[in-house]
Amino acid sequence: MKGTYIGELEELVLLTVGILYPDAYGVAVMDELDKQAGRSLNISAVHAVLSRLEEKGLLKSSMSAPTDERGGRRKRIFTLTASGKRTLEEAQALRTQMYNQIPRIALQFHQLTFTI
Amino acid sequence: MNFRKTTPASKGQQRTPPVLINRFLEWYCRPELLDEIQGDAFELYYREVKDNRLKANLKFTWNVIRFFRWRNIRKQKPPGLNYSTAMLQNIFKVAVRNFFRQPGHSLLNVAGLTVSFLAAILIGLWVFHEKSFDRFHPDADRIFKVMSHVDANGSIETYAAARSNINLAAIPDVAAKAVVITGTRWPNELCFRPENQPNDCIYLFGIFSEPSFFSIFNFPILKGDTNPLANPTNIAISESMAATLFGDADPLGKIIKIDDHFAVTVASVFQDVPENSSLQFEFVVPTQVFARMRGLSDDYFSKEFQAVYFKTNTDISQGELTAKLNEPDILTEDLKQDKVSYSAFPLTETRLHSQFVNGKNTGGRIQYVNLFIMVAVLVVVMAVINFINLSTARATNRSKEIGIRKVTGAYRSSIILQFVGESLLVVILAIALALLFVQLLLPAFNNLIGESLSVKLFHPSVLAWIILFAFLVAMAAGLYPAWIMSAFQPSKVLKGQAVTATSGAQHLRKALLVVQVSISVGIIIFTGVLFEQLSFIREKNLGLDSKNILHVEPTYKMLQQYEAMKAELLTHPEIKSITATNADLVDLTIQTTGVSWPGMPAGMNAAFKVLGANYEVAETFGLELVEGRFLESRPADSVNTEVVVTESAISKMQLEDPVGTILKIGNSPCVIIGVVKDFHTSSLKQEQLPVIIYAHSILQCSRLYIKYQAGTTPQAMATIHEVYKKFEPAFTMKYDFVDEAFGKMYKTENTASIMLVFFTGIALLIAIIGVIGLATYNVLKRKKEIGIKRVFGATTLQILGNLWKEFVLLIAIASVITVPVTWYGSRQWLNEFAYRINMPEWIYVTTILSILGMTMLLIALQGLKTIRTNPTSVLQHE
Repeated sequence: MKGTYIGELEELVLLTVGILYPDAYGVAVMDELDKQAGRSLNISAVHAVLSRLEEKGLLKSSMSAPTDERGGRRKRIFTLTASGKRTLEEAQALRTQMYNQIPRIALQFHQLTFTI
Repeated sequence: MNFRKTTPASKGQQRTPPVLINRFLEWYCRPELLDEIQGDAFELYYREVKDNRLKANLKFTWNVIRFFRWRNIRKQKPPGLNYSTAMLQNIFKVAVRNFFRQPGHSLLNVAGLTVSFLAAILIGLWVFHEKSFDRFHPDADRIFKVMSHVDANGSIETYAAARSNINLAAIPDVAAKAVVITGTRWPNELCFRPENQPNDCIYLFGIFSEPSFFSIFNFPILKGDTNPLANPTNIAISESMAATLFGDADPLGKIIKIDDHFAVTVASVFQDVPENSSLQFEFVVPTQVFARMRGLSDDYFSKEFQAVYFKTNTDISQGELTAKLNEPDILTEDLKQDKVSYSAFPLTETRLHSQFVNGKNTGGRIQYVNLFIMVAVLVVVMAVINFINLSTARATNRSKEIGIRKVTGAYRSSIILQFVGESLLVVILAIALALLFVQLLLPAFNNLIGESLSVKLFHPSVLAWIILFAFLVAMAAGLYPAWIMSAFQPSKVLKGQAVTATSGAQHLRKALLVVQVSISVGIIIFTGVLFEQLSFIREKNLGLDSKNILHVEPTYKMLQQYEAMKAELLTHPEIKSITATNADLVDLTIQTTGVSWPGMPAGMNAAFKVLGANYEVAETFGLELVEGRFLESRPADSVNTEVVVTESAISKMQLEDPVGTILKIGNSPCVIIGVVKDFHTSSLKQEQLPVIIYAHSILQCSRLYIKYQAGTTPQAMATIHEVYKKFEPAFTMKYDFVDEAFGKMYKTENTASIMLVFFTGIALLIAIIGVIGLATYNVLKRKKEIGIKRVFGATTLQILGNLWKEFVLLIAIASVITVPVTWYGSRQWLNEFAYRINMPEWIYVTTILSILGMTMLLIALQGLKTIRTNPTSVLQHE
């Protein structure tokens, strides 16, 4: 279904937002992605993905109180929505399901070439 | 609570992100996104800045740039652009009132623009007409003609012709080829007799061609055979020719006798040839008829050089075609020995790019087209400059209105809209007037330049162009004044403080005036140079007398009775002499490199013009004998043909004792019996070539020249007509005057000069409007100054001098700019002529002095009005 289909980066960001609960905002998500997945993105790219996910209804957001470290600016805190969580689960399930269909021989292929 | 504008916390106080970059972010970012975006950017900045300030700054800048995305940019329009219809109505009303409040000013503005648009539209029509030539063929880009370049001892002559039997089939890209024989005289101009009127003769022009003619060109056949030229006894005629000859009767199948001798059948009727075709004809006849009319065998004809057109079936380039044309199966060995080479030339360039100098294409008419495009642009630029100058000069008058508008809440943008809108109204009015004048003047203009242009005003693309043009001009003319005026401070203008135009605006006005004067002086000088050269051509001694000579086309019967006719004519006192030649003396195109003489260096390839003539030619044309004798009336020498040559021919042949020398033209031996002074046999654009005149049998001549007593033109014409009717009752006499024919060689130049004079007048008019506008403003501005000077006893002349000073300086600057440019331009133009005038310096001086004088006069007229008023009335004001 269109709208629930998400790309790889979107999936990573969704996961990160989940991990960071309840403190997921732009910079935090960017740092976490760098740390966990080794993806160093520009902050504007993270914003773009976050707002796209929000448009798709996978995330919701609210503004925090202003903080000093940001020069008095507020944060936009993102949290997973129910459909966001379901999308992650579906993606996970699909992968597992498909992974399980891979013939064992294919996964051992490189070993086979070694032994022959 | 909004913290947006607060400074960051104390610890980072001196470590703030770059201010400008931050401001840029705040400017573009959507307000509802600003907090999070700016917050994240700041957070990253503060984190980074602890380590490295420069890096942090750069990173911040980079982030701000990266955030500049469509979804982050504010979409809301600035509030000033929400216009209500009420406001637009008000703006319109005020514009109309203002227009009528200062009728003089408005009239100047509209007149200037109208005149310039008039010029631009006329030039535009002409340019479109010129550029549309031959474009009506759907495959116009694939039609070419073959050009021959002949190397005659270093100078290459180019002819739009190739050997008729050129083997174009050897090039796979060529789909079809056709020889097209054009010309302005017999056998292209023929006498046709309308049905039932056997003694009437209507002369019509036509061409001879081969069967593929109608498949190469798009001349739609309306009735009859679609391939009429396949049968050598057919003729295809135009719609209007069919109507002329046969009226309403069906023309198909009718028999026409060409030259009252060769019967051809009307096989098809084609649509009249459009005006913008470089091939113009009323009928097409197969080439076989041409060969028969001239008594040539088909074999002989196939070796003659004629215009050859062909069409390709691929998008092969001109260069590749030229290369293929010079391959040995097409450019045969004998042609190569004669130093001939071929090239392909696109049909669509025939009209504008047909000039070749020394084998290289040098443009042609296109130079005039470009010249006039430039004139049109310059004239419009001048008018726009006027508009800007007049509007900014008058800005003061509108200052209170602007003040009130601003106080009642107008945005700057709405005031800009108001003034741009006003200029748009004026521009539209000017365009409407210009179009009206175009309609009125077009017949006269067409008459002047000998074209038939028309405006298809309601054609959508024309309308679109006009609207676009109006919009652009309104923008160019209105934006700057609008910008200046909308910047007025209401608090100042409403308190009655005079708005002093910024020094920038004043400098701009002066700069614009300089541009304007440069342009008009340049155009005037160039026109002057052109006129000088053209009158030089008209008055140059050609070495022969072309005045009072009538050229008459003889029929074969008349040539047979030549002596009798001559005797008859000479019984009338107004007829002085008569002669016959085989070619046009003032535009002699018969040229040969096949002349050899004793002592001729081997391998030399010298070009001579040759003319076959009856013995009276020297007397009729007033040729001056230097040595030996002229041709005489006696039976032709059975061994050697007698020839008379020009001095330059002798020097080319380097003959010590020319008279009696035997030379050969082709294989025919000729004896030189006399030497005459050089005379021009072509347009003065070309170098004079040596001429050989040989005694020619009267029956092979094609032109009669009759010289008559000066001042007796009507009697002479009557006599000649009478004699003609006596010898040829069934024909209408065809004639023209030799000096007029000579003048026709400069048709393009003459048309150009007429148009230039017209547009020079317009340029001058616009410049005058500009000077008047600015002078009025200047005087107005300095009213009080003049009053005070008068009170302190200054004389009228002193005050005028003061007013003049500024303008004289501007004109001096303009002259310094325009003289070298015009000098260069006119030099380039003059270089086209082999015989030309020296640069006429006096034109430069007179033009600049007259512009100066005119400006001073205009200022004096404006100034005197103010100077004459009582200073007390000026100074008492307020």
